Amino acid sequence: MEKKNKAQSRRKFIRNGARLSLLLSLGAVSAAALRKVTTDGYVWQIDPFKCTQCGRCATECVMTPSAVKCIHAFDLCGYCDLCGGYLKPDANARSTAAENQLCPTAAIERKFIEEPYFEYHINEDLCIGCAKCVKGCTSFGNGSLHLQIMHHLCVNCNECSIARVCPSDAISRVQASEAYKVKGSWTNPT
Amino acid sequence: MTKKTLNIIPIVVSTIALVSIFWWLSADPTKDMTVNLEGADNRGAGVAAQDVTIGELFEEYSSDYQPMNETWPNFRGADHDNISKSPVKLIDKFGAEGPKIVWSLDLGEGHSGAAIYKGLAYILDYNEEERADKLRCFSLVDGKEQWSRGYDVAVKRNHGMSRTIPAVTEDYILTIGPKCHVMCLDRENGNFRWGLDIVKEYGNEIPFWYTGQCPLIDNGVAILGVGGSKMMVAVDCESGEKLWETPNPNGWQMSHSSVMPYTFGGRKMYVYSAIGGIVGVAADGPDAGSVLWSTNAWNHSVVAPSPLCMPDGKIFLTAGYGAGSMMLKLSENNGQFSVEAIDEYSPKDGLACEQQTPLYWNGRLFGILPKDGGALRNQLVCVDPSDTKKMVWSSGKDMRFGLGPYFIADNKMFILNDDATLTIARPGTKEFILLDQVKVFEDAHDAWAPFALADGYLIMRDSKKMVCIDLNI
Repeated sequence: MEKKNKAQSRRKFIRNGARLSLLLSLGAVSAAALRKVTTDGYVWQIDPFKCTQCGRCATECVMTPSAVKCIHAFDLCGYCDLCGGYLKPDANARSTAAENQLCPTAAIERKFIEEPYFEYHINEDLCIGCAKCVKGCTSFGNGSLHLQIMHHLCVNCNECSIARVCPSDAISRVQASEAYKVKGSWTNPT
Repeated sequence: MTKKTLNIIPIVVSTIALVSIFWWLSADPTKDMTVNLEGADNRGAGVAAQDVTIGELFEEYSSDYQPMNETWPNFRGADHDNISKSPVKLIDKFGAEGPKIVWSLDLGEGHSGAAIYKGLAYILDYNEEERADKLRCFSLVDGKEQWSRGYDVAVKRNHGMSRTIPAVTEDYILTIGPKCHVMCLDRENGNFRWGLDIVKEYGNEIPFWYTGQCPLIDNGVAILGVGGSKMMVAVDCESGEKLWETPNPNGWQMSHSSVMPYTFGGRKMYVYSAIGGIVGVAADGPDAGSVLWSTNAWNHSVVAPSPLCMPDGKIFLTAGYGAGSMMLKLSENNGQFSVEAIDEYSPKDGLACEQQTPLYWNGRLFGILPKDGGALRNQLVCVDPSDTKKMVWSSGKDMRFGLGPYFIADNKMFILNDDATLTIARPGTKEFILLDQVKVFEDAHDAWAPFALADGYLIMRDSKKMVCIDLNI
């Protein structure tokens, strides 16, 4: 009788040991998966406060057009009629005519809201990240237009070709959980 | 290959070539492009001018104030040079206790500065709750409000609302409101004398972000650069009667620049940098009000700094939004004036200012470069008028400023940063010498209004708050 109990106890020990091993394995796999979801490595990011709008984001990115796009912090915008990011300096008129627009691809849409306010939206499909509008807005306005690397477009090169040439060291690797550094409380309206 | 086949080949090739050429000529590679034309923003037709009863509102609060001796009667002071000639000695360091703020005041959002006259400070404020322009009179020493005179007018926020400084003489106060309403009052008691709605009278365009021109009183006459149907007008402060109107055949518009009195070649004139060009108007004599000279060589969509007129006939012009600067040379020959541009450059190539008018002191020019001023952006720089592209000195990359005011008093230069950081420097023609720097108050934004100083009391403001600092030693 005592011998039988010993055998049962050994089987129970082996069974419990196997269950515990399985549980630990599952826990480890889950933790690893969770860690991957929460950190997911690193991505490239532009610091808009360091950016000097040199224009190289448009020309140096391996993507064509560049994965760098202009975004708009609406809460910082002055909604001006005379917008330094939309109009060429000393433009003939404050209108949407091509000759007055600063953007080479007409990626900024201008809408009249009410006197004297106008709203400006970026058409991401047209934007090439040249930063001309950002330079105009930063120099003459509130700096609400600024550049960001868009991660649904960026291929996350091991060595970002823009970061290599950025004269102001505005591009750096950051954790994917904090992929964007935006001014104001910008949210992508699209 | 038969002879018939050989004959067919060139015919086929020619046909294919013709078809290809026709296809190539008829194909439109731009057919998928969108043409950008004006009007896509659905711009409105504009708002009709409001009927305004200038001077209708008056409130009296106190008549108790301490009379003082000195004045800062208008934009850039009595001599229009932004240099105080007062003998009052001022501090050059703030000490551990910081600036001695004797009073502070919440204002409507804007950039209007103060004028000071013998113990009273005058500020054209926009009251956002009452939706009214108010000329407010305060005791300089303790900030106690004496009275206010104004009128109802609807003004929406657009980078601030108020942005002009009254002109004050012994007898009169003259103001221009955000929407070009001119109001003339008796200085002693704020009694209304006359008003002028420039938009209704002359059909001008209200400048972007509202009027920035500070009015001028010269020998009891109000001088206003109006744009629209006339270029400049002179109005008798006593009666409100128009004394002369300068024609404006080219339809130049009002800028943020102010009219500057200038004497050159034996003539006194008023120099005004409008949107469209710059003009010199005879200030006296039988031809008062007539154009002595003008040029459209200086033509930019936004001009805030005023012309800086130097004794030798040079006139330094500068503006923001990429305009840069221009040096004009005025010449006189037998009573005839001519003007030529002797230099012009972009803001990264020399002295340029976006908002404030540079200083001319001891034969040198001083100004703060704009954000598009290249490597020296936002630095205070000193240049010689003979070559404004060559920097004599700059304040250094660790000493950058914004769009705020700067002036000279008691042989010290006072510079205000956007965040109300006040810097005291030793003005020099050889180098920048920092004396002290202090944050006057926290959470300040857009501290752009020009300074006013009298009897050692300095009035400055940010977009919503005005303070008076006792700088007396």
